[in-house]
Amino acid sequence: MIEQFSQFFSILIELVSTPSNLIVLFVASFLGIIFGAMPGLTATLGVALLTALTYGLGADTALLALLGLYVGAIYGGSYPAILINIPGTPAAAATAMDGYPLTQKGLAGKALGLTTTASFIGTIIGLLFLVTLSPLIASLALQFTSWEFFLLALLGIVLSGSLTSPDLVIKGWITGLLGLFLATVGRDALQFFPRYTFEQPQLDGGLEIVPVLIGAFGIPQVIRALTTKNQTTPPAFVGNIMPEFKAIKRNIKHIFRSATIGVGVGAVPGVGEDIAGWVSYSTAKKTSTKAQQAEFGKGSEIAIVSSETANNACVGGALIPLLTLGIPGSPPAAMLLGALLLHGITPGPSIEIDHPNFLLEVTAIMVLASFAMWANGLLMAKQVLKVLQLPTALFIPVVAVLCILGAYALNLNMFSLYLMVPIGIIAFVLGEMKFPISPMVIGLVLGGMADESLRRALLLSEGSFLPIFERPVAVILVIVMTLFILAQFKWFKVLLARLTRLRVRTNSE
Amino acid sequence: MRIVTYLISLIVCLVAVQANAKRPYPVRPITNTVVWSAGGGTDSINRMLMAEMAKELDVRVNVVNKTGGVAGSIGMNSILRKRPDGYNLVGISSSNLVAAVNGGWQQRFDVWSPFIVGSSPDVVSVPFDSPYQTLDELIKAAKSKDIKAAAGGMGGIHHIYLLELEKATGVKFKYIPYPGSAPAQTATITKEVDFVITSMAEQAPLLRGKRLRALAMLHPQSYTLDSVGEIPTAFAAYPSLSARLPLSQAIGFAINSKAPADVKNTLTKAFDKAMHSAKVQEWAKQNHYELSGLSGEKAEQEFARLESIFTWTLDDLGANKISPAKFGIAKP
Repeated sequence: MIEQFSQFFSILIELVSTPSNLIVLFVASFLGIIFGAMPGLTATLGVALLTALTYGLGADTALLALLGLYVGAIYGGSYPAILINIPGTPAAAATAMDGYPLTQKGLAGKALGLTTTASFIGTIIGLLFLVTLSPLIASLALQFTSWEFFLLALLGIVLSGSLTSPDLVIKGWITGLLGLFLATVGRDALQFFPRYTFEQPQLDGGLEIVPVLIGAFGIPQVIRALTTKNQTTPPAFVGNIMPEFKAIKRNIKHIFRSATIGVGVGAVPGVGEDIAGWVSYSTAKKTSTKAQQAEFGKGSEIAIVSSETANNACVGGALIPLLTLGIPGSPPAAMLLGALLLHGITPGPSIEIDHPNFLLEVTAIMVLASFAMWANGLLMAKQVLKVLQLPTALFIPVVAVLCILGAYALNLNMFSLYLMVPIGIIAFVLGEMKFPISPMVIGLVLGGMADESLRRALLLSEGSFLPIFERPVAVILVIVMTLFILAQFKWFKVLLARLTRLRVRTNSE
Repeated sequence: MRIVTYLISLIVCLVAVQANAKRPYPVRPITNTVVWSAGGGTDSINRMLMAEMAKELDVRVNVVNKTGGVAGSIGMNSILRKRPDGYNLVGISSSNLVAAVNGGWQQRFDVWSPFIVGSSPDVVSVPFDSPYQTLDELIKAAKSKDIKAAAGGMGGIHHIYLLELEKATGVKFKYIPYPGSAPAQTATITKEVDFVITSMAEQAPLLRGKRLRALAMLHPQSYTLDSVGEIPTAFAAYPSLSARLPLSQAIGFAINSKAPADVKNTLTKAFDKAMHSAKVQEWAKQNHYELSGLSGEKAEQEFARLESIFTWTLDDLGANKISPAKFGIAKP
């Protein structure tokens, strides 16, 4: 253990002592934040583009650039989420729920400062797990078969549905189901059967998530801003960027819990930052006091800390199956796998044989990447806040153009725009009727996995649902989900209260 | 100030025209559009090869990804619409051959002149602690009970290998479709299925890390993998496998077949040089690829053969939209 630590620090010092490495790191982290912050440019795309540029660099430097960008991009998504209520990446959708109300209250500075530090701590905790528990977590990740994937996806949709509705829970679930429906468009992944494609080859690949994300969040925001007269620009730049030590201390238990959730979710192959934020957000809400719960959705400190810590801790989690099993834990990690292969490093069970100390090296790089993110974040937040001082008449058209560019840039396809605009209008109408939009996007993101996994599981079991009850992880997921759904009903709450009272009485007798 | 700007742009134009007149193809950067996602096999091979070819061609070769549609149809369609002047290449593999019969586009594959880099041989593997020690035991077991098999996506190259294995051994497996090789391999480790067929390039780290255990190569030769040892060929016990196997993944790139001959020649020269470079040779060895290096007529013939096998296999499975006969693709 001690030997490992000294090795770790020697790697760290070696990396830091090369000035060019530091420049690469900070530039990559900066680019990552920009990528995360621009609607439509995702962490996945950023890593993909940078992979090409780092081809000529050494493996160490390339990895420094790629991980710097990855960590930065996951963090950067919180900027637009907090400032203009448009999550820059799907991962930041949960952050927007409480971040934007804080901005409206004029506390954008405080919100940004807090998420920056929470993201930093989240990444570091994620790393601690990566180093100490990776073999254990990897074996846990292997408990996930088709049934568990299906249940996990469903859980994500149920959670996001119940958390976001301003009035009725059922409205969140309705949009969640709408998202699930949208996910069925295209060729099904198992037998290529075309569903709702109307003979349009463009629809064969299904609906792209990024244009839908931008459409669903960006367009309503633009329409809303342009239809309101008497713009009251929120009092910008109130609150200190440097987070108070007290605020961190106050939230430390949320930070720890959220980081653990983030690592856990990240470690499950194929499930990434998008869902980690939601799971963490809901757990935070469930474990808060009544008074704190009332704050959720209106600008709760606990809420933004929980979702941002979790999505950054997810990065460390996602690297666990990648490095130990060669299975990427999230979409950007999949891209990272490609980059590693290009540099002659094959992650997987044999990595410690082929490249001894590689895990430590990655950890050292990640530590540096999160430092770079934190420093860049605190430096940039102040400048980014100035955006709020722009008059809406100037700012919103720019956002609209960025939205369109972002949707188009992903695969240079005009069809993305034809998709984005109608989705945006539908989302606007739904929003006016107080239907929350996030569950729809989460439904689309996770719907493919739910659909494919369920059908494969049924194929394996020849149509029987019984195998769910033979698998411990699946049973836990079913129980959590059932309790969660029941907890939304009044009669269940009453019943629960009566039961506890009954127990208390029998105990006292 | 404005005059200066005009002058500068004039000079730039003149220089560009001059350069154009003096130097034959290529005078400006070439774009290679890979139709599969970044980080995958086709993408990594193209990026590595293009970096080597760029040295020969003396211009930059940009590699971009344009995925989506049916079997890469969106990317292929968009490149085919561009002028056939040699500045747009497309990164492809034999998996793109099914785009037409699945309704992705209306083209035979002969619209492309392919350059084939190589392929990685297919291997049959079981979870490391599986009770089956040899391919024979697995085949015997399949006679009396359901044996679940994973082999990547339906109608993909590994699925065709599975179907050929069934044909040669006379047993039926229960095929479970996964969207790609990686999820299929993961499912085998979790024991959701009993065995998996994917390429050596994809499986090697799992075999060496003792997560999977190789039973046999679906390749005419046995294969030696360090720290694992020799993996026998299945062709010895089941000679009828050689009727159609091995099938090449034919990973590489292509150019519009209407491109002028001198462009094709220049590219072929650069391709040949790159294929013999130490970097490509070393990479192939490290990543378990067998290099091919076919181009021109030979590569076109290989693609035509694969097109016929791929599309008609899909037709047998009923997993296609349009009959291959409609495109005039002959039966294998």
